[in-house]
Amino acid sequence: MTLSNPTHPSQSQTESPLSPQDLLARVEALRPKLGDNFRDEIVKSLYAEAETIARRAVHAKGEARYDLDQRIDRLVTSPIFGLPIMLLMLAAVFWLTIVGANVPSKMLADALFWVEEQAAALFTTIGIPWWITGFLWHGVYRGLAWVVSVMLPPMAIFFPMFTILEDLGYLPRVAFNLDWLFKRAGAHGKQSLTMAMGFGCNAAGVIATRVIDSPRERLIAILTNNFVPCNGRFPTLIMLATVFVAAAFPPLFASLAAAGSVVLVVLIGVFFTLVVSWALSRTLLKGEASAFTLELPPYRVPNIGRILYTSLIDRTIFVLLRAMGTAAPAGAVIWVLGNINVAGVSLAQHIANFLNPLGGLIGLDGVILLAYIIAIPANEIVVPTMMMVYMGTGMMTDIPSLEGLRTLLVGSHGWSMLTAVNLMLFSLLHNPCATTILTIYKETNSRKWAAFGALMPLGLAFLVTFLTASAARLLGLAP
Amino acid sequence: MSERKMVALKIEQSPCETCPANAQLAQMGLKIDNFDRVVALAGNPNTGKSTLFNALTGLKQHTGNWPGKTVTRAEGGYEFNHVRYKLVDLPGTYSLLSASQDEEVARNFILFGQPDCTVVVTDATALERNLNLVLQVMEITDKVVVAVNLMDEARRKGIEVDTRSLSRDLGVPAIPVTARSGEGLQTLLTTIDGVISGEILTQPRQVRGTAEFQRAVDELVPYIQQLAPSVPNPRWIAIRLLDGDARVQQALLSGELVELTSAQRRQDTRFSGKIALEGRQ
Amino acid sequence: MNFLPVIFWGLLLALLLAAVFHPQRGVLARWRMNSRSGQRELVEDALKYLLKQEQSGRHAAPEALAGAMHLSGSDVLRLITRMESQGLIISQDGGLHLTAEGERWAMHIVRAHRLWESYLATEARLPLNQVHREAERREHRLTAEQLNELEAALGYPRQDPHGDPIPGRDGQVAVAQGMPLTAWKGETPGRIIHLEDEPPLAYAQILAEGLRLGQVVRVLEASPQRIVLSDGENEFRLAPAVAANVFLEPIPDTQAAGNGSMPLSELPDDTVAEVVALDEACQGYTRRRLLDLGMTPGARLQPEMRNFFGDPRAYRVRGTLIALRKEQADQIWVRPLN
Repeated sequence: MTLSNPTHPSQSQTESPLSPQDLLARVEALRPKLGDNFRDEIVKSLYAEAETIARRAVHAKGEARYDLDQRIDRLVTSPIFGLPIMLLMLAAVFWLTIVGANVPSKMLADALFWVEEQAAALFTTIGIPWWITGFLWHGVYRGLAWVVSVMLPPMAIFFPMFTILEDLGYLPRVAFNLDWLFKRAGAHGKQSLTMAMGFGCNAAGVIATRVIDSPRERLIAILTNNFVPCNGRFPTLIMLATVFVAAAFPPLFASLAAAGSVVLVVLIGVFFTLVVSWALSRTLLKGEASAFTLELPPYRVPNIGRILYTSLIDRTIFVLLRAMGTAAPAGAVIWVLGNINVAGVSLAQHIANFLNPLGGLIGLDGVILLAYIIAIPANEIVVPTMMMVYMGTGMMTDIPSLEGLRTLLVGSHGWSMLTAVNLMLFSLLHNPCATTILTIYKETNSRKWAAFGALMPLGLAFLVTFLTASAARLLGLAP
Repeated sequence: MSERKMVALKIEQSPCETCPANAQLAQMGLKIDNFDRVVALAGNPNTGKSTLFNALTGLKQHTGNWPGKTVTRAEGGYEFNHVRYKLVDLPGTYSLLSASQDEEVARNFILFGQPDCTVVVTDATALERNLNLVLQVMEITDKVVVAVNLMDEARRKGIEVDTRSLSRDLGVPAIPVTARSGEGLQTLLTTIDGVISGEILTQPRQVRGTAEFQRAVDELVPYIQQLAPSVPNPRWIAIRLLDGDARVQQALLSGELVELTSAQRRQDTRFSGKIALEGRQ
Repeated sequence: MNFLPVIFWGLLLALLLAAVFHPQRGVLARWRMNSRSGQRELVEDALKYLLKQEQSGRHAAPEALAGAMHLSGSDVLRLITRMESQGLIISQDGGLHLTAEGERWAMHIVRAHRLWESYLATEARLPLNQVHREAERREHRLTAEQLNELEAALGYPRQDPHGDPIPGRDGQVAVAQGMPLTAWKGETPGRIIHLEDEPPLAYAQILAEGLRLGQVVRVLEASPQRIVLSDGENEFRLAPAVAANVFLEPIPDTQAAGNGSMPLSELPDDTVAEVVALDEACQGYTRRRLLDLGMTPGARLQPEMRNFFGDPRAYRVRGTLIALRKEQADQIWVRPLN
């Protein structure tokens, strides 16, 4: 290729003031001379140099050994055992969480509700008006106590275990195992890494999508992250699994069955992630899978002290404080709704009655929908809100234990297996919490995508639960 | 200077946090509003950058073992020999050429953030791959210290790293460390101090490409020196311009590059003033 | 139920829709044509068409232009008058000729089109058969300066995803080499360097057969009815009219079949191999990423594990384990070492 203006600088020209534009013009003129693969050459010579230096500085005794790593890798990514091992690990984590959290949860609840009783009694003896006592202790405090006793023990077990897997280097192997599915869905293999983060918190999962370079695939990962149940939703799932699924099995297998059903819910979540990703990459976010390169780092022995610190302080306490921050006002709102009577019925009941037909259509009821509306700021308080509305109607004054819960739900409020199943599905699929929606907005910088990220899951949740409810009713499995 | 190094090497034998020998290092966590020097931490993913960052600042930044988990840069502080440092943990990258989001963050900070020293954290078990980034960082700045991390893992795998040969070949100090146990941190800190104060002179090795490439670069360098006389890395800028780096082009057109260098000089005088006050020169 | 009103309203609605959306005479099309940007787009499309005609040694008559652009006779006359007054074309001997200014502008549009195609294919990862249509829409929107930025961001590609050369900033364009498949002689293998994307039907057929840029193929059979190709693994059958849109060149030595190189994806498990080159078809971000990961010529690598589905596969390269999908591994040529 010839150049139209070969102005080579002579000494005299250099003295005249040079502008940046001149320099750029010079660069443009030089570039074509460098041949086709200029960048290739740069990288090649960099690596060649690195090789030379490394060869002089590194002395390996024999071949570099990756034996142990290799053996572990061959097992956890093996065509036969890879996927089963992954599922077993997931089940083990949930099982330990459910089994381990049971007793401390009960002890915490006992202690916290004892405090409520004593304090309320004390308030009454000093002659403080009933509505202040009720508002503070049966409203705000009870909400907090619920959240703490239901959430703290499982989180304190789940997060450290999850962090160990993370620090070991197992997560990239999960991405490696599942990539083929994501490729089929037109998505990026690293999406499974961001989903793993979503187990902790969907907002964190949305931020983690920054590891995906392709904007299209990143957007898919952002919009579907919600289909991984986050820590705020696990208590709901675990409670339902324990109260409904486990109760149907002999005590010996009860906790195993509960863990198994949570794994099943997670798998359903993965299924919906893949289906929605697939649908998105064929409609709104058309495109083919981009280049995928994933480093599988060597396994490292986790530092237990650090893990306890990060998982307990950074994650558990952080999530708990956030939940409490929303639970306290929500508790107050519930108490007010439950204690202001219009025409002899509480406001909460009015709203619940209003929502009942819609709830019934999808196999739930008005109280559950009300709980989900109040819980938009944080999913953690769905169960406490439901309990408070149910209890606020004066049907039960007992301390909520798991058996008491079952009696309350099945006996007094007509819950069936369909209610439990659909609540699990709804909890898995419905709109993300306000924090996550806000994070989606910040990450995409688009109101449109934030709205889509909120409404698409909500619509899907209604659709799926409506279908299961209709199917169950058609088959005569539910009233 | 060599004496100072010897002392530091002896200190390294006792890496306990409370020993008097270690009292020089004070972790300052998030107290970074009043610092004297800025040190950037660069490196490939999974080389233990975050571990090193935590060990120096006392912060508990999360260290997961998967690529790309530091998606933004983290900042923390420490005090060493009564000088306060701000430490910036950059996202892990293999290279500074691809212009993906994280590489852009790292590259822009090293170039425009003007750290007083850039520590490139490398994995002793995969040095060849890691040196690629070291060489690229050394094109941008000559205030570089290479921390050869994960020495314990390398020993376990039967790999020996001769850091003296490495230092000689690279032209910048290479310090063996194990960030997890704190081994070698004292030496690393002393070396960073030495590089910033000028006690340790660095002469980064430059990669030579093909003959045409070299000719093109040589032709551009005088122009760049004329346009921005005190720019510390005209060669790198020439390479970036030839590669069509939009950000560098923009910095050139907006005059940012020229200002950059004068800011650097101001900082230099400020530091030497400070050091003189403390009687260290 | 009375169907009459339904039919009536249905017809009315259809008529209304047609009046608004008819591609040439609809209100929308008229409005677009008369709007400022619409007029510019028309001019630019006409320039592009005329340039193409000139490059193949013809000078288009106004009627041909009208046909190519789906314009009525009066519309095209108005367009020609406007372009003449802007000094872009001159009419001579019943044909339309581009002026220097017209050619410069036409080159700009071609450059915009091909850069957009590169962007859409390599960065946005749009399916190849949709790249052209999307680029047609976007080519009118960028100034020369913005184009330069786009070019820099893409790493100065030489060719668009169909193998067409991208004109430089100075409007120079490298001469397209290669020989149409219909003229390719005998048994010698050739590499596909260009797939003509117009007409779209033929292009869709080429893509559907699975042919892609950079592929090395051999002609097995050439008859007036069909042309049969092989890449050593699969056979491809094309009608001669379609095959004329596939262009080949002789293969460079590095990738000639004789030297024992193969795509990384075909390397047997646990075999050490050396990188020979990255495929020319691998451009843009993917190429940069692979290079940065150390897949430079001469680098040694070894497949270490496969997952349940057999894809991706993990390779040890320069001391690190890196997983690649088959699509990426296809683009890295390696030579097994013993």
